[in-house]
Amino acid sequence: MAKPPLRKPKKKVCMFCVDKIPYIDYKDTALLRKFISDRGKIRARRVSGNCSQHQRDVAIAVKNSREMALLPYTSTAR
Amino acid sequence: MRRYELMVILDPDLEERTVAPSLDQFLTVVRSDGGSVEKVDVWGRRRLSYEISKKVEGIYAVVDLIAEPATVLELDRQLNLNEAVLRTKVLRPDQR
Repeated sequence: MAKPPLRKPKKKVCMFCVDKIPYIDYKDTALLRKFISDRGKIRARRVSGNCSQHQRDVAIAVKNSREMALLPYTSTAR
Repeated sequence: MRRYELMVILDPDLEERTVAPSLDQFLTVVRSDGGSVEKVDVWGRRRLSYEISKKVEGIYAVVDLIAEPATVLELDRQLNLNEAVLRTKVLRPDQR
């Protein structure tokens, strides 16, 4: 029986570890927008590919950003 | 003395020219307590992601300063008392 070939998920590397970005700024909305969905939700780590430490930093930065109305809590678009 | 980063959202009905002087007036409390203001960056008018007290726009300003913790607390208190200030955020960028 031929099993369907197992799809090996491509290992993602955390872009903050690669680029050596020491501090994730909540004011940098262009960067943070990559880590939220079009609904405004924070992308999960398995989607974003961040390491646990940087995922946490991203989440904190997004939340700070939301408080200052730089990013939406929810976007009704759609 | 610690380094702080302060972000303020001001009422969009304000004249953009008057923003810098009025912000400076708030910051006198820092200077008089022996702190120093490193940088004042007025971003100008920007669309808010959601309404804050029925306003769809806000005038953003970011201030870098060095001051005692108590001074910053007082500055934040005074800002929040002012009606032209929609929102503030004080952060210590060197915390990590």
